[in-house]
Amino acid sequence: MSVEQQDLNLLANEKRGRFQLEAGQDLYGWNEVTQGSVLPAFEGDASNVANQKAEERNYSDYNSYSATVSSWRVIKPVFNIDVCIDCQNCWVWCPDSSILSRDKQMLGIDYDHCKGCEVCVEVCPTNPKSLLMFSEYEDLGDALASWPEKKKKEKK
Amino acid sequence: MTEIRWHSRAGQGAVSGAKGLGDVVATTGKEVQAFALYGSAKRGAALRAYNRISDEQIFDHAKFMMPDYVLVIDPALAMTDDITMNDKPTTKYIITSHLSKDELIKAIPALEGKEDRVYVVDCVQISLDTIKRSMPNSPMLGAFVKVSGMFELDYFLENMKRVLKKFPQKIIDANMEAITRAYNEVK
Amino acid sequence: MAVEFEVNEREVWDGNYAASQALRQADVDVVVAYPITPSTPIVENYGSYVGNGYIDGEFIMVESEHAAMSGCIGASAAGGRVATATSSQGFALMVEVLYQASGMRLPIVLNVVNRALASPLNVRGDHADMYLGRDCGWLQVSAFNAQEAYDLALCAFRIAEHHDVRLPMMVHQDGFITSHTAQNVYPLSNEAAKKFVGTIDPVDDMLDFSRPVTYGAQTEEDWHFEHKAKQHKAIMDSVPVIEEVFAEFKALTGREYKRVEAYDMEDAEVCIIGLGTTVESARVAAKEMRKEGVKAGVVAMRVFRPFPYEELREVLKNVKSIGVTDRSSPGGAMGAFYNEVSAAMMTSESRPLVTNYIYGLGGRDISIENLKTIFKEQQANADAGHITTDIQQFVNLRGPKLGFFKSKRS
Repeated sequence: MSVEQQDLNLLANEKRGRFQLEAGQDLYGWNEVTQGSVLPAFEGDASNVANQKAEERNYSDYNSYSATVSSWRVIKPVFNIDVCIDCQNCWVWCPDSSILSRDKQMLGIDYDHCKGCEVCVEVCPTNPKSLLMFSEYEDLGDALASWPEKKKKEKK
Repeated sequence: MTEIRWHSRAGQGAVSGAKGLGDVVATTGKEVQAFALYGSAKRGAALRAYNRISDEQIFDHAKFMMPDYVLVIDPALAMTDDITMNDKPTTKYIITSHLSKDELIKAIPALEGKEDRVYVVDCVQISLDTIKRSMPNSPMLGAFVKVSGMFELDYFLENMKRVLKKFPQKIIDANMEAITRAYNEVK
Repeated sequence: MAVEFEVNEREVWDGNYAASQALRQADVDVVVAYPITPSTPIVENYGSYVGNGYIDGEFIMVESEHAAMSGCIGASAAGGRVATATSSQGFALMVEVLYQASGMRLPIVLNVVNRALASPLNVRGDHADMYLGRDCGWLQVSAFNAQEAYDLALCAFRIAEHHDVRLPMMVHQDGFITSHTAQNVYPLSNEAAKKFVGTIDPVDDMLDFSRPVTYGAQTEEDWHFEHKAKQHKAIMDSVPVIEEVFAEFKALTGREYKRVEAYDMEDAEVCIIGLGTTVESARVAAKEMRKEGVKAGVVAMRVFRPFPYEELREVLKNVKSIGVTDRSSPGGAMGAFYNEVSAAMMTSESRPLVTNYIYGLGGRDISIENLKTIFKEQQANADAGHITTDIQQFVNLRGPKLGFFKSKRS
């Protein structure tokens, strides 16, 4: 496991999280907003999106894929692939679809959309946990290096 | 403009009668209106239905009218309802009753002095004989055709067959007989 | 394949039946409905046309009017041609969802058979429900008889679904007075009606899988105002399309509709303004007043939303005194229609005298004589040069005379 595999742009294309939600957007006039506040999810023909991976899709600016909420986060989950058993529990529970998984192989975190809620850590069943919260400023390499040991069962 | 007011009970078919009449009148190229003032919406409640007939488009939507004809298809309502309200010196009355005209006028003081404009026909008995249940609207139409002279009987019968076409032939035939009998029996 | 429904050149239909025939001929894809007197037969008949194979559509029965309009929104967002009908309390329950439909710019056609709002409970016609809907962002058009309920329902699909409009539209008719009164109706042939209405060309339809869209986005103070302004502009900008569709309908049938209609107004000094069946009764009264030497005319509000300010000013520019009729309980103010006509005339050169008549609540009759009295009072105002009555009066009301507000002008 290297830090490079867990970089902030894991499985991203250039659109993902390209702007901060609620900041830096152009505020259009009444004549420019969409009719009926209907928002298209993709640019162009999207007939094949169901067969495309997220990073292949042509998301529109209206799609939350294009906005990032990473600045909301004060603590971040760090993923340790050595401990993970690929149970997909975190993938199911993540409220922001920020667990990146392919063919039931856990890959890491979408740091553009993770808000740092800690749900993934809470539901992780491994010992030690494969996901742990660290300060937003913590270097990923340092975080992995400080991973705790397996806890011994407490004697009754 | 010819204006008609029906006095009836819900279920006796005054609304259908008014609409059927309107339907036939419309085939002659005239403009018609058929509507009703419903009381409490249950079978047996007194109601009034109305027709307007004109050579030109009818714009008057008021319920108020001074009728040219008052058609009473319930014998008891003839006694209890205000059948002479808003009438004119020329208003004609066609009333369903088993009573003779003299007996009827004696029973309804409001009709006194209007004897020459009162016509009597027993629509209830005619419908019992022909349609086999009390459905006095069809016979009343026959009586109206006779009294008003608005149509030839055959023309009216032909057009009523069209209005009734959704019903089985037996019922259409019975209605034709009822209309014809009332046409011949109204006095 | 649908079975052909026979229509004759001349029919005797009531307003409900006429409206339901328009839904059939327009090949409405989906009707989502909850029944309420007096509008029930419209959706009931549509259901029977579906059941008997006269139309390939979906009739969906739901548990409330709130659900009915919600279902209409879903079907319309999916891309279908959608209509329903309601009245009174049902309309009131629908109101929340009416705003959703217009905000999402969904061209649903709603046949509103106008009925009073309880309490006290009443099933008959007044315009309380129409007034409740006047800020909902829908186009609103008023039919004065069964023929017009049919004609305008057909026109409504054309107007609402037009890509320059894309707004839901209400077609109003008076409960019982129109809905349950059979009159001569001259329908289009099935073929002609179908050709006139055409098929819907959906916009942002959710069944277009090549372009998935989100409906019902949240907008706070940063975006909401812009969206509502755009929606209001769309309502205002629907005028050319309304006029174009009315013109096309006239070419097809000879029956002419205008946003503001004027009868005997060429030289009129006094007039009554109204909508619904009362317009036609007032035309009879105006003719009679003219025989008595009063230059009386009638102005009809065919299209209530968008409100035709300019057209009203134009048609009323030479009138001295105007009686505005409101068939809705005013609830502590002048009638809403009076306020709108007054707003138009306040900003005109002539600034005529304008008074308000509350009438016909809960289906109370308004006779030709009642309407003639209004004309006579307008003539008295015109002669005196100021308002001679209370500014707001009640027509055909039992008990001591009821009126409010005095004029300060003389």
